[in-house]
Amino acid sequence: MPTHEEFDVCVIGTGAGGGVMIEQLTAAGLRVVALQRGPFLKPSDFDDDELRTVIRDQVFSPDQIETYRYDAKSPTETGKFSMTAHCVGGTMTHWAAWSWRFRPDDFHVLSTDGPVAGASLADWPITYDELEPFYERAEWEFGVAGDAAGNPFASPRKKGYPNPAHPGRTASARIARAARKLGYHPFPTPMAINSQPYGGRPECVYGGACQQYGCSINAKATTLSVCIPKALATGKLDLRPQAMAREITLGKDGRARSVRYLDDKRAEHEVFARQIVVAGNAFGTPHLLLMSTSGSFPQGLANGSGLVGRNLTFHHAAAVNFTIDEPARSFAALETHVALDDLHASDARRGFIRGGVVAEFNMLMKQPLAFALTGLPGYPATRTWGSDLKDYLRKFPHAIGAVGILEDLPMEENRVDLDPSIKDHYGLPAPRLTHRQHPNDIAMNRWFTTRLLDLADAAGAVDKWSAAAFALPNERAAMKGSAHFHGTCRMGDDPKRSVIDRWCRSHEVENLWIVDSSVFPTSGGYNPTLTILANAYRVVDHFVHEAKRQNL
Amino acid sequence: MTRREFMLRSAVYGSSLWMLLNTPRPRALRAAQETARREVLSEAEWKTVEAITGRIIPTDHEPGAIEANCVNFIDKALAHEDAKMKPLYKKGLAGLDAVSKRRFAKPFVDLSSAQQDEILAALESGKAAGWPRGDATAGEFFTTVREHTLIGFLADPKYGGNRDYVGWKVVGYPGGGHHLGGYSPAQLIGKEKIKTAWGEEV
Ligand SMILES: Cc1cc2nc3c(=O)[nH]c(=O)nc-3n(C[C@H](O)[C@H](O)[C@H](O)COP(=O)(O)OP(=O)(O)OC[C@H]3O[C@@H](n4cnc5c(N)ncnc54)[C@H](O)[C@@H]3O)c2cc1C
Ligand code: SF4
Repeated sequence: MPTHEEFDVCVIGTGAGGGVMIEQLTAAGLRVVALQRGPFLKPSDFDDDELRTVIRDQVFSPDQIETYRYDAKSPTETGKFSMTAHCVGGTMTHWAAWSWRFRPDDFHVLSTDGPVAGASLADWPITYDELEPFYERAEWEFGVAGDAAGNPFASPRKKGYPNPAHPGRTASARIARAARKLGYHPFPTPMAINSQPYGGRPECVYGGACQQYGCSINAKATTLSVCIPKALATGKLDLRPQAMAREITLGKDGRARSVRYLDDKRAEHEVFARQIVVAGNAFGTPHLLLMSTSGSFPQGLANGSGLVGRNLTFHHAAAVNFTIDEPARSFAALETHVALDDLHASDARRGFIRGGVVAEFNMLMKQPLAFALTGLPGYPATRTWGSDLKDYLRKFPHAIGAVGILEDLPMEENRVDLDPSIKDHYGLPAPRLTHRQHPNDIAMNRWFTTRLLDLADAAGAVDKWSAAAFALPNERAAMKGSAHFHGTCRMGDDPKRSVIDRWCRSHEVENLWIVDSSVFPTSGGYNPTLTILANAYRVVDHFVHEAKRQNL
Repeated sequence: MTRREFMLRSAVYGSSLWMLLNTPRPRALRAAQETARREVLSEAEWKTVEAITGRIIPTDHEPGAIEANCVNFIDKALAHEDAKMKPLYKKGLAGLDAVSKRRFAKPFVDLSSAQQDEILAALESGKAAGWPRGDATAGEFFTTVREHTLIGFLADPKYGGNRDYVGWKVVGYPGGGHHLGGYSPAQLIGKEKIKTAWGEEV
């Protein structure tokens, strides 16, 4: 008999994957302890103060330290590269809430497009049809607002969206009109934001500072606003914020036994559980596994394949800013209201495989500092100060952005590992990112940038510029970090070529599960999170079923 | 959304924020508006910083950085959140005057606008004759003041700049939408007027 308290499940990370696991495991009556780095924030902690939240980053990730290098031969930089939110609810707390289902072929890139030199393409071990009911569940739990008939290229679905699409702003109407002019099929971007009261949460007020912010009225569906309250209400959840997991220990029986974690004063604690679910995202999960070394796993827990941390994908984005001859009102409402999927399908004749979705996108002009600091690079001004700068700033009300969310090809060398010398805020080895682009990404990024410039012209652009904040202009350009992070603990059927099986359970440690963005073998050309949520509902159903049959 | 880190984080905070973590002192915001009380800059430094901000966002038919009191924002930021940048400012301001005196035999504040622009352009390009050797580069100093000026012009007035909302008025931003109660579908497409943070209807 253990002398210490033992929980049924310990979940590390309370974001998209972890939040759903916690909600469903506690609903099934299991006793769960959840460890989350950073604070438990309340809606009243959120406002639209751009300096505090975005520029100085004092709300979501003040204690994050990472290092980045282009490849193994390049120098290392220290900074913040991934846009993780370290707080209860994880990164969805400040997400924008675009909510897509992947397309059937997104799960079978290798068999659809064939192998590509330099890329580690792989099929997912699951199909769209297997995930379809769980996409539906995620859409209904998170109250996605959209028009189910709007996108002629969307995956087949059995049921519509629970909420009607959001009204757009002037900018959205301009992009929709331009898209139609070019023969495309624009439709309202599906958003997990209430367009009417739903799930006990109010409707959105369209304040504007949405992406990169917490929602102060809970109109935005996040694991913090949807899953955590339900889990707490069961009385089965022991939620521990300010808990940075630093090691998962292994018992003599080869099963994961406990989690050691540091609180905000760096004091160490240990918690024991029969099942351990890691949901720290594509950086946090490999970081923790690689720190958890033992005699049986000298290269990190569950890393017999050597693949923990590898095949990191980020998406890349083509983004174009332009101005129109009337106020565009990009500062109001959601990050995006209109999208088109006409350019998405893989077609090697374009000079690259795969693709992505195109949408209206206000990230670089939703507030004045965003426009001043990040919208400007790429704008054809002689000087970035003086009267040139002031004239640029005055374009703010007329500015519109458009983006392509583009699938990047996985490469084994793109990875997360432990920095050999730099320590993070907790005194642990900082996560080190090594990331460069596959030539396919560069070709795709250029092609989509040209299409977006055409779209800007069709929308009557007065000025237009490719947003240098995102462009991949040359072979050595690379995403150093991202808001979309996937891979690093691939799921697959072959234990030599993947870290976890189709149920997101370690091939090697039978009571260790990974349920977050790190399980993606390939990245898809859509924002990833509805797929993370749907996959978590799929896995937790299986988990609870097995637990009831005493199979765990 | 995806991003490339170095472009999307601000230059000032992006690379250095992680080193500043140990000074998260929530400060009395009211102090930031007390423009009369200099906290970090000497009287002479205040005038020089003000003059630089005035060339970064100049006054034309509309107010610029001087009217927005960007220098006050900078003084208060250096006193609190950006305290670690004090040495950069101290050295940078001394360097600026050294370069101005070498080129025009006068300190920066006594130069004409055109002369000031010439000096700033030299700093920006990193080719400023007379810049003292040392750890702070001319380019780094220029980038920092430029970005601080933009933030002082466009951040919420509670931080000590953007006086009387002049920054937001110049760029046409009505203020944080959530504080103003959000926008109706009719306001999103211009069918109804929007109320600004300073009580105007636009
Ligand atoms: C600004 C922004 C906007 C976005 N908008 C969208 C969007 O519109 N649509 C979309 O589909 N996606 C969006 N995303 C992406 C989305 O947020 C992520 O895909 C999603 O949150 C990832 O889920 P996850 O479960 O993998 O991890 P996360 O949600 O990142 O949660 C993991 C949590 O684990 C914690 N953690 C990590 N390691 C440890 C440890 N050792 N101990 C304790 N805790 C740990 C982390 O602090 C983190 O909070 C956006 C992201 C950002 C940054
Ligand atoms: S725009 Fe809507 S969902 Fe976004 S933060 Fe505001 S109220 Fe919340």
